[in-house]
Amino acid sequence: MPPLITIRGLRKTYRMGDENVHALDGVDLDFQKGEFVAILGPSGSGKSTLMHILGFMDTPSEGSIVFDGEEVARLDPDRRAWYRSHRVGFVFQAFNLLPRLTIEENVALPLLYRDGSDPAANLAAACAALERVGMTHRLGHRPGQLSGGERQRVAVARAIVGTPSIIFADEPTGNLDVKNVDRVLDLLGSLIKEGITVVLVTHDLSVAEKARRVISMRAGLVQEDRVR
Amino acid sequence: MRLFDRVRPAVINGLRELQANKVRSLLSMSGIILGVASLVAMVTVVQGMVGNFRQFVDAMGGIEKITILREQLPKEQEHLAELSEGLTMRDVERIRRTAPLIRNISPEARVGYEKIVYEDRETNTYVTGVTADYLPVAKRWVEPDQGRFVSDLDVLNMTDVIVLGSAVIPELFAPNVDPVGQVVKVRGRRFTVIGVLNNIEGTGMQIRSANSRSSGGAWRWRNSGAFIPVSTALTKYNGNDRLTGLGLRITDPEQLRDAVDQTERTMLAAHKGLRDFSISTNEQTLEDFRKTEAAFKLSLGGVAGISLFVGGIGIMNVMLASINERIREIGVRKAVGARGSDLFLQFLAEAAVVSVVGGLLGLLVSVGIVTLMNFILTQALPTGAVATLDWVIMGEGLAFSVVIGLIAGVYPALRAAKLDPIEALRHE
Repeated sequence: MPPLITIRGLRKTYRMGDENVHALDGVDLDFQKGEFVAILGPSGSGKSTLMHILGFMDTPSEGSIVFDGEEVARLDPDRRAWYRSHRVGFVFQAFNLLPRLTIEENVALPLLYRDGSDPAANLAAACAALERVGMTHRLGHRPGQLSGGERQRVAVARAIVGTPSIIFADEPTGNLDVKNVDRVLDLLGSLIKEGITVVLVTHDLSVAEKARRVISMRAGLVQEDRVR
Repeated sequence: MRLFDRVRPAVINGLRELQANKVRSLLSMSGIILGVASLVAMVTVVQGMVGNFRQFVDAMGGIEKITILREQLPKEQEHLAELSEGLTMRDVERIRRTAPLIRNISPEARVGYEKIVYEDRETNTYVTGVTADYLPVAKRWVEPDQGRFVSDLDVLNMTDVIVLGSAVIPELFAPNVDPVGQVVKVRGRRFTVIGVLNNIEGTGMQIRSANSRSSGGAWRWRNSGAFIPVSTALTKYNGNDRLTGLGLRITDPEQLRDAVDQTERTMLAAHKGLRDFSISTNEQTLEDFRKTEAAFKLSLGGVAGISLFVGGIGIMNVMLASINERIREIGVRKAVGARGSDLFLQFLAEAAVVSVVGGLLGLLVSVGIVTLMNFILTQALPTGAVATLDWVIMGEGLAFSVVIGLIAGVYPALRAAKLDPIEALRHE
């Protein structure tokens, strides 16, 4: 089976004052469908940049990315937005739920930006996603009324509502207590059974150990890529 | 349809933001509220004034009326005074024959401010000798159930008949007496009342009570007066053939200037070159009024324009502040798939919602202002300027505020659309 994502010679260079900073300095990687991968590295290692580029939030300076058979390294902003709403899900450290929306509205948000989106169908899909993360008892609540663990589960529901191919979780446990860390990681891990690729971005080795494959990064390069 | 699908959630979102930030939204709307209120109130009141004035000019015979009055000879012709005949019925004949642009000629011979007596009641009013042409020239009429006006036959036969103004009736007759057919006395001469002139009512409330003594303002004089055949007036009272004035009605208001020229030439020829008359029209009055109206519109429109402009800046300011507060939200929305255009629409819709709500509140305020202005104007002006709110004007005011809101929303919305999602998500 071909990989979901193939990246070759990926570079990202920022200009900082008079200097060029290489956030990514030639990265070659493959991601399989239904894989649970952790990208491990200290801050400044390039792991966030890699996640942003693979998540269609940024474009590389050089290199190629083949996503599901299509070259996607140089897409225009609207096309990247299409990929974000159809193929990618994000889970953030700070949850990033919108405080004025109810949790089902938050979960339905990615569907809102799809063409021909229908509010009733969106809410139904949101409820289904919330059921999968065990949050149906909180329908109608706002994020402020939820605990950290609950909020992150809602965020996971938002990430899966659009049936993405890949989910990026950026330090998803950084704001959670021990009990909820396991719960959220188990939840993310369970998604691979549905063929979703889960990419965990973290600087925490103990979190990264939950994944079957750990990619260590340093100074914009892949230092180690091991499968347990 | 697709655009509607994208706009609908944006509008709902805008209403939510408004609800979540009530005080701030109200403050940002204040400029729009005042702008719309002053715009609508201004246009309404000025239109009211214009309408009232048109009525007033109309009551004076309208723009189609030319008035010829008897005048003293100018200095350089004073030595020819004995040649001056003044205005006579001969002038009426001459104009009728030689000035085709004139449709009606109404000779008027004022008898004086006379006491009119009916049984034990009496009242004072101006008595004027006229012909049947008085009605079309003065734009007056006699209601069918109120008798008839002076006829050509009355003039020919010098009959002693009288037509009374509607304001005179309650002074002379008890409410249960039909004035038509009654006999009144003017300087001891007995006149049969043959009709009552129509009552002039303005649309404004200050004009409606023309029958009462207490009010009626400038309109009251139009409803008083008494009219007898011009021949009766000249022969039985004045003892000469001199008329006080001539009222002319022209066929086409567009040809007013030509009609005035025609009349002047005819009159000068008939009067052997003596300028013992003056010719005037309502044109100047109307022109003066138009200038006043334009000045009003310009100055009040300027005020409304400035407040709407300030209102627009207010909205832009609050939208920029709101975007600054919601940078993270913008980042999240972009991360889950929102395009720049989605966010542009969202924030533009928010600005539009603020301006629509502001515009509606402004309309409410304008109702208050117009009511207050009406009250003040009816107290201050005899003719009054009673304005009624017009849906069209209100609609225009609202549309104007929406346009302002949309223009003010463009820049903030563009900023939101252009934010980099990664930067936005990092924003604390």
